[in-house]
Amino acid sequence: MIPPPLLARDLRKDYRMNGETVHALRGVSLRVDAGDYVAIAGPSGSGKSTLLQLLGGIDTPTAGVVELLGTRLDALSDRELTHLRLTRVGFIFQRFHLLPVLTARENVELPMAEAGVARGERRERAEQLLAYVGLAHRGAHRATQLSGGEMQRVAIARALANRPTVLLADEPTGELDAATGREILELFRRLNDDGTTLIVVTHDDRLAAEAGRAIHMLDGTIRD
Amino acid sequence: MRVVAWGLRSLGRQPLRTALSLAGIAVAAAMLLDMVMLSGGIDRSFSDLLLVRGYQLRLTPKGTLPFDTEAAMAGASGIVAALRRDRDVEAAGAVLGTSLYARDADSLVTLFGYGIEPEAQGLYQVTSGRDLSPGDTAGILLGEPAARLLQAGAGDTVTLVGRLDPQVAGAALGSRLVVRGIVRWLYDARDQPSVGTVLPVMQRLSGPTAGDRASLILVKARADDQVPALAERLRARFPAVEVNSAAELVVHFRQRLVYFRQLSYILGSMSLIVTVLLIATLLTIGVNERLGEIATLRAIGVSRGTVVRQVLAEGGVLTVLGAALGILLGLLTARYLDAILTRFPGLPAAFSFFVPRADTLGFAAIVLLVTGFRAGLYPAWLAARAPIAATLRAEAT
Repeated sequence: MIPPPLLARDLRKDYRMNGETVHALRGVSLRVDAGDYVAIAGPSGSGKSTLLQLLGGIDTPTAGVVELLGTRLDALSDRELTHLRLTRVGFIFQRFHLLPVLTARENVELPMAEAGVARGERRERAEQLLAYVGLAHRGAHRATQLSGGEMQRVAIARALANRPTVLLADEPTGELDAATGREILELFRRLNDDGTTLIVVTHDDRLAAEAGRAIHMLDGTIRD
Repeated sequence: MRVVAWGLRSLGRQPLRTALSLAGIAVAAAMLLDMVMLSGGIDRSFSDLLLVRGYQLRLTPKGTLPFDTEAAMAGASGIVAALRRDRDVEAAGAVLGTSLYARDADSLVTLFGYGIEPEAQGLYQVTSGRDLSPGDTAGILLGEPAARLLQAGAGDTVTLVGRLDPQVAGAALGSRLVVRGIVRWLYDARDQPSVGTVLPVMQRLSGPTAGDRASLILVKARADDQVPALAERLRARFPAVEVNSAAELVVHFRQRLVYFRQLSYILGSMSLIVTVLLIATLLTIGVNERLGEIATLRAIGVSRGTVVRQVLAEGGVLTVLGAALGILLGLLTARYLDAILTRFPGLPAAFSFFVPRADTLGFAAIVLLVTGFRAGLYPAWLAARAPIAATLRAEAT
C-alpha cells in the first residue's frame, strides 16, 4: 500500500515567549492524500502557520509525528531533513522571499543547482516552469524588478523546481491585491488539476473555498 | 550559479558600505605589505648591495666594519698578494677610504676619496667615460655628485689636495689628475661627493702615515659554497684583521636595525587584526540583515554547507579585491616611505628599506587570504545556525 504524501499524528508545539509557554498546537492530526488541495484557514494565532512548518520539516514538534511518504521526519538527521525539503517539499511564502541579487530564472534554478541538476537541464526546466507560471519573458529580470504577483509566481516556479511531492504555501496571496491574488488562485487550481498536492494556509475565504478541502483551526486545534 | 558571483552581487547590494570596507581593507593590506617588505627588505637589500659585484668577503681592521672608522690595516699589499695566491680566491683588491679636498677657484671643497685597485674593485660602476687602468697614477674617477660639485667631466683636469696640516692650515700634498670617467659609487650616501684614484695615489694624498695601508680588502671566492670555509681560513691566517662574509655583515646589520623589524611585526600584526575586524564586521552585519533570506534558503532545502560557502565566498571576494587594491597602495606608499628613510645620513643611496619581491607579495597575499577566510568563519557559523522557523515567524510579523 502506498503511504499518503503527508500524515500528521497528534502534533503539539509549545513555544517559550516572554517567559511564558505558548501552546501553538494542541494535538493536531491530519492526512493528506496524493492530489489533494487542502486549505488551512483560521484567525491569526490559531496555529496554522506553525502546522505548515511542522508538516514541511522546517520546525520540530514538541510531541507527535509527521510522516512524509511514510518517512518519519523525527527519525531524520538535519542533513537528511534538509535534503528531504529540497527534493520532496515545495515552499511558497507570503513575502515571496526570492533572492534579490538573482534573476527570476536563477531563483528557479537555485534548488535544482543545490540538488546537483546539470546546468543545461536546470536552465531548460527553469524556462519551462517560468513559462508555466506565465513569466517566460521575465527570466532575465532581477527579483527586485518584478511586481508582487510576478514575484509570487517565480516563487511558485521555484517551489516546483525539484518536482516535490507536496507544495506548502503560507498565505500566498497575503501581500497581493485582489486581482493578482485571483491569478495566483487560478495558478494553484491549474497546478492541482495537473496532479500537484497542495496545502495552503490562508486568511482568504476565496482561496479556502477554491480548495477541495478546507480545515479550520482555532487555538491550536482543528475545529472541522 | 557560482558562489563567487553570488557573493559579488550580494556585496553590490550595499555599494557604499562595500566600497568603504574595501578602502579599509586596502589600507590595512597596504600596511601589511609594507611591513612584510620592511621586515625582510632591509636584509635583502643590504645583501644584494654587498654582493652586487660578486665580492663575498671583506677584510677590515680588527673590530670595525667597512668605513665604520678611519682605522686602516697596515701591510695591505702583502695581504692582497697572499690572497691572490690562494687557490679559492678569484680576485682580491684593497681600498683606502679618506677625506680630501679639491680646489674650486679660490676655495677648497671637501670630498671623500677611494683608493682602489681597478683590476679588482667592487665599489663602483662606470656610467660614462672609462675605468682607470691599473697603475694609472694620473687619472681619477668622479662620482656624479662630485662631478656636479667640481663641474668636471671625462677629460677635464681636477686638483686634489690631501689632508690639511693643522699646524699651518695648509694642504700637505696636491695632485692634478685627469678625469677618466664618471661612476656610480655603490655604497655612497645620497649626494655624497666621492672620487677614486688608484690606491698608491690615494695613500699619498692621505698623508705619510697611510703608506701601504687600506681600510678594506674585498675578496671574491671562486664559489659561493666555499665562502664560510674560506672565511675561517682567512681568520686563522690573518688574525690581526676582521674577516666578514656578506652573510655575516647582514647579521651585524640586522642586529643594528632590529628596531625596524620589531616595528614591522607589530604594525603588520595590527593591520591583520584590523583586516579581520573589518571583514568580520561587514559580513556579520550582512548576515544579520539577511537572516530571513538565509532562513528561506534553508527552508527550501539549501544545506548549511552551501550557506557557509556563500558567506565565506563574500569574505573571499572582499579580501581579494581589498588585497589587490592594497598591493597597489602598498607599493606606492613603500616608494614614498623609502624615499624618506633612505635620506638618513650615512645610508647608501642604493639601499632600499622596502623591497618588492614576488615571494614577499605572495606571502602577504596568502596571509591576507587566510585572514579573510578566517574572518568569515564567525558570520558563516551565524548564518548556518540561524533558526529557520523562528526567523521566518519573525519575518512574517
